[in-house]
Amino acid sequence: MHPRAVEHSQSDLDRVIPDEAELTAGVRIVPGRSYGFFTDTTLCIGCKACEVACKEWNNLPADHLGLTGDSYDNTGMLSANTWRHVAFIERDVRADNQSPFQSGWLMMSDVCKHCENAPCMEACPTGALFKTEFNTIVVQQDICNGCGYCVPACPFGVVDLNKVDGKAHKCTLCYDRLKGGLEPACAKSCPTDSIQFGEVAELQQRAARRVEKLHEIGVSSAYLYGTPGAPGGSGDYGHLNAFFLLTERPETYNLPAEPTRPSNRVLPSLVSGLATMAGLTLAALALFTRNR
Amino acid sequence: MDQWTGPTYYNRPQLKAAPFDKTLVGGYVFLAGLSGGAQMLSTLLDLTRGRKARDVVRRGRQLALLAPTVGSALLVADLHTPKRFYNMLRVAKRTSPMSIGTWILSAFTGFSGITAVADFAADRVPGLGWLRRGARAAQVPAAVAGAGLGTYTASLLSATSTPLWAAAPRALAVRFAASSVASAAAALSLFSRDQKLRRDLDTVCAGALAVEVAATVVADEEYRRTGVDEALKSPSGRLDTIGAFDVGTVVPLGLLAFGLLHGGRSRPLSSMASLAVLGGSLMMRIAVIGSGDVSASRPDISLRFMQKR
Repeated sequence: MHPRAVEHSQSDLDRVIPDEAELTAGVRIVPGRSYGFFTDTTLCIGCKACEVACKEWNNLPADHLGLTGDSYDNTGMLSANTWRHVAFIERDVRADNQSPFQSGWLMMSDVCKHCENAPCMEACPTGALFKTEFNTIVVQQDICNGCGYCVPACPFGVVDLNKVDGKAHKCTLCYDRLKGGLEPACAKSCPTDSIQFGEVAELQQRAARRVEKLHEIGVSSAYLYGTPGAPGGSGDYGHLNAFFLLTERPETYNLPAEPTRPSNRVLPSLVSGLATMAGLTLAALALFTRNR
Repeated sequence: MDQWTGPTYYNRPQLKAAPFDKTLVGGYVFLAGLSGGAQMLSTLLDLTRGRKARDVVRRGRQLALLAPTVGSALLVADLHTPKRFYNMLRVAKRTSPMSIGTWILSAFTGFSGITAVADFAADRVPGLGWLRRGARAAQVPAAVAGAGLGTYTASLLSATSTPLWAAAPRALAVRFAASSVASAAAALSLFSRDQKLRRDLDTVCAGALAVEVAATVVADEEYRRTGVDEALKSPSGRLDTIGAFDVGTVVPLGLLAFGLLHGGRSRPLSSMASLAVLGGSLMMRIAVIGSGDVSASRPDISLRFMQKR
């Protein structure tokens, strides 16, 4: 038991536990440090507790009821109302050399990556998207005017507009909970610790150790997605504050292998366009002067 | 890692398409190019020809008011919370072409407004003839902002993760810039009663169209190289390749070249070409936005595009 848990022997509490994340995730949440998720897909059992906890805490409505026919994935995709999405990939067990009773299924709980250099935030023309004191990316609902420019900026298809309220929405990494010293709802609810919350540097070390361990026990395909220099951490993204341990290539999980940073294209584009304008202006000037 | 060949995740989109209304935003981009180009050309004509090009210069200054008025209205209408449009003026960010564009449009609105109002007042109100000098001073910064107005819209599309827009940022910007100048020259040519001036405007238009054709060819090659060209097989893509390129660029270029080589005296020929150019310029913007959306909603295209090169 965590030493601090001794202070709270009863389940019926008369107050909020200060720094509760220390009990549930072993980390004290301090403004000015960088927090994120390490999602280890080898531990995911596809229970969708993260999806439910997220909807419950953030008061998010369902996107649609009904079955998709695509394995157990009836959530579909991340959206304005869905900030955790568990993907199911049914792989043929016999194609591997695993014993027959073992499942070859892949499951991954997807979420906003809270990029170090976030394209949605760079694109936002109102400053509604901002970087919090916990180094996470949040949309300020009282500022967003629903221009929708953050939506195509995201290389992961995370940010989405809600057509009902006309604002952009996405995972806030439970900004309100972090402010209160609480672990984000999805990570707290995860029964297998597939979703781990903590300080990014610490999580990255933990993840590297986990990959080593997996390689040792024979899962040679395990690798990290979204750490510096790894897939997903390419193209000037630096790293992703919410990163993943995967065992198949990124596309299998609907993740891009090498996303590029959109704002890197602003300058080449503007220079080419203005150079064209300048060239045509000079040509027109010469013509207008000559035929005067 | 080896090159990825599939499969996708149940063919579900990996990206989200921009929630822009392609007609509203495409219409704005067209008007921005038209107004910016018109301000540039009328400023050049005023500086070089002065009184002799008076009518066309006045028309150009009037056309320049389209983006600030109708164009801005289209932009606000496309917002999903339109009453907060003024939040665009909270910040200035060089990483966001939409923010850059907000300030370009604001500057253009100010300077073009001064130019047009001063011009109008100098003509109509006795004793205010001195305002003409104000119009001449304001038209230069207005023309510079106009150059930005006709091009930033390409950066706005390219600085996203939408494959078709991101695949060829330079070529797309050249295309948009050239189309802006071509549409403005075409519109001014329609208004020009002076044959010599019309011939010059048609020459500018033909030159811009030639640049646009070259940029389109380069862009198509980039699309093929990066594997996003399949988005051009969609209805929006066809509108681009057949409507905007063939009918709206190549045909009028041919008409103008034919007319100019034969002395440039045929007004119907010039008018026909001008109308095709204007239609093509509008279609091109709507089609590029639409086929970009197609490329974003197809995971095979977006996952292939975001491979290591």
